[in-house]
Amino acid sequence: MLNRKVLNKIYTIAFYTSKEVIKSKVLLNTLILGFGLLVVTFIAYSFTYGEPSRVALDFGLGTLSLSSVAIAIFMGVGLLSDEIQNRTVYIIISRPVPRYGFILGRLIGLSCVLVINILILSLITLPLYFFIGGVYESLILWTILYIVIESILMLIIVSFFSLLTTKVLSVILSIVVYIVGHAIDGAKILNFVAERPILEKVLDFYHYVLPGFYKLNLKDHLLYKQNISIDYLTSNLMYGVIYGAALTMMSIFIFSKKNLD
Amino acid sequence: MLEFIDITKTFNADLFTQPFTALKNVSFKVEPEKIVGFLGANGAGKTTSLKIAMDFIRPTGGNVIFDPRLGKNSLDIFSKIGFLPERPFFYPYLTGREFCYYIGKLSDLNKKEIDIKIEQWSHRFKIHFALDREINTYSKGMLQRIGFLVTLLHDPEFIILDEPLSGLDPIGRKDLKDIIVEINKLGKTVFFSSHIVSDVEEICSNVIFLKDGELYYEGSVDEIIQKNIKPTSIIKYLNDEGIQQLTVSNENKMNEIQKLSVTNVQIISIEVEKASLEEIIYNVK
Repeated sequence: MLNRKVLNKIYTIAFYTSKEVIKSKVLLNTLILGFGLLVVTFIAYSFTYGEPSRVALDFGLGTLSLSSVAIAIFMGVGLLSDEIQNRTVYIIISRPVPRYGFILGRLIGLSCVLVINILILSLITLPLYFFIGGVYESLILWTILYIVIESILMLIIVSFFSLLTTKVLSVILSIVVYIVGHAIDGAKILNFVAERPILEKVLDFYHYVLPGFYKLNLKDHLLYKQNISIDYLTSNLMYGVIYGAALTMMSIFIFSKKNLD
Repeated sequence: MLEFIDITKTFNADLFTQPFTALKNVSFKVEPEKIVGFLGANGAGKTTSLKIAMDFIRPTGGNVIFDPRLGKNSLDIFSKIGFLPERPFFYPYLTGREFCYYIGKLSDLNKKEIDIKIEQWSHRFKIHFALDREINTYSKGMLQRIGFLVTLLHDPEFIILDEPLSGLDPIGRKDLKDIIVEINKLGKTVFFSSHIVSDVEEICSNVIFLKDGELYYEGSVDEIIQKNIKPTSIIKYLNDEGIQQLTVSNENKMNEIQKLSVTNVQIISIEVEKASLEEIIYNVK
């Protein structure tokens, strides 16, 4: 199925998808955001007592996470649907390119842009953090890796929805899934939920089916210096990767059956 | 090259609207090495047929068969087909050249081969001057030209074009028609849909005509014109007032000629009146 020819084509689609997105000046927004981040962090640092470096890290990683998720949602929603709407997909899949190759290439291409975005903001955040007295911890790199996984997962989710419904609805659904995915763990331990078994079952169902983004959030652990075992880190990483792979397979299945009209 | 066998396509919109049948048991054949025009009014089912041929949408019933010479599986077949969709819209931030590389690489060409093809066709399509500009600066005609260029990059055996001449000025239309004829002379089969009947009449040897989702005519352009010869003739003659023209029924033609011959006129020509393809199509509509 995935022979060398097809892999080359996936690479070509990914390369030109990244190129197209980068030339559309999305990353210029990242640079502006990075500059804003520097200013905000400096202001917060000036008014903070105790551990200002932690504040810088908090701002930096928060911006990193939100901007990547925003790019994933707003660029990802048109990743496949715009191609169908604008009929550019006809040009691509009328070439000897399997449909799964097209979808994988597009997803990988935009994922690369997300990684570049995260790298740029990391290169702004981390030097600042170290400059104002922060110390290196391996959990910082894990947190950044988790942000990469989280934003790619959001990209896969929004493009999955965009194959099933309209762009607006896809964005709304993706944002809801993102928020609920982060809040679900906290919601489960609320008394309100514990006293209502049906609600608890609904949340359990969510746990099994929809993504638990809280598992990919290491920022609190990092900021409050909580110890995390390597098993926890690797298992949650695997959770994100497997969830993303499964959803990509579903997107490929839907796209291969979809009438492109 | 391509055969449609009993193709039916029904669109099921939603629970509240009636299903719509766009194609009803349509069967036709595109013969190799010919230019075949695909005619029909808006909504006749031309674009739906082409989408089915290219596997963008699946038919509700029937089969699409490609010439075995094109290949056995869909990837082999598509590597020998060039397809240009209607009103093409390409990646706005890529340059024309980058777009050619993109599509060329997807067509299994290497950089050198792509460069040769770009050099060969970009001048022919008069788009060479804009290849290093972003596509968002292209006019509609330029989009059509770059689209046509990438369609021919991999030297396809079978070229399918959906409304390739729409939106072009007369010079652009002539250029593209000349290129279609030129590539056909190289042994390529061209199948193109068009609203512009005169263009089809001008360059196509065969025509497939759809009406309301059904096949109305399939055959040679000459044949449909012969079938629709009017039962009238035009006699042109010269008298003191200059060249005159007389339209007579074929039954009365000889009587009228005899009448004219006894008067002091010179008969220039006697022609059986033929309908143009356009007139025939309009009558059908």
